[in-house]
Amino acid sequence: MPHKEKIAWMTLLWIAVTYGPYFVHVALSPPEPGVMPNLPQLWLLALAAGGNGVLHILGRIGLRIAAPDDARAPADERDRDIERRSIVVAYYVMMTGMILVGMVMPFTTSGWQIVNAGLLAIVLAEITQNGLAAWSYRRSAA
Amino acid sequence: MTGGTITNQIRTLRFLAGEMSQAELGQKIGVTRQTIAAIEAGKYSPTLEAAFRIAEVFGKPLGEVFQWRSGG
Repeated sequence: MPHKEKIAWMTLLWIAVTYGPYFVHVALSPPEPGVMPNLPQLWLLALAAGGNGVLHILGRIGLRIAAPDDARAPADERDRDIERRSIVVAYYVMMTGMILVGMVMPFTTSGWQIVNAGLLAIVLAEITQNGLAAWSYRRSAA
Repeated sequence: MTGGTITNQIRTLRFLAGEMSQAELGQKIGVTRQTIAAIEAGKYSPTLEAAFRIAEVFGKPLGEVFQWRSGG
């Protein structure tokens, strides 16, 4: 499996184990819109984002130790092609999310609902990019 | 525009080149082993530059390494 594909799968996994529980919690007990800064909510967000970052760094270190040559190899033309196509689609997901969050939601809500919607747009764009990359690698795997 | 597929003789040419490995060929043209495997299986079409590089490694003209099969 190419190194970049491993990173894409790993990113999807870490999103599932960090932002997954965060958004489930937010959906089940949404924070009050007007109450800011709402420290417990802020801690929860920091835990999800920080946990995701730490897991990602540890995962990359693990992949580098497991296959140092693969990790050192620069991206080849297939890697760049897959990356370019997945980023283009993810860009539209991000743009749509940001238009909703920045230009529509402020008329109807405020506070944590906007923060969480913005975070969801970013996470969805990441899922799109890494999901498409992983799918493209699988589709063109020999 | 008509459909078609690109086929190639890379597996045969690797065999004729002393069973050159996919990793070796990849190293010679600057792509990963997995990309060579994908090209060989016809699941990824290389850039024109990579195609020329592969042909150069085997000392063959491009048309002897890659062929276009028109789908009608």
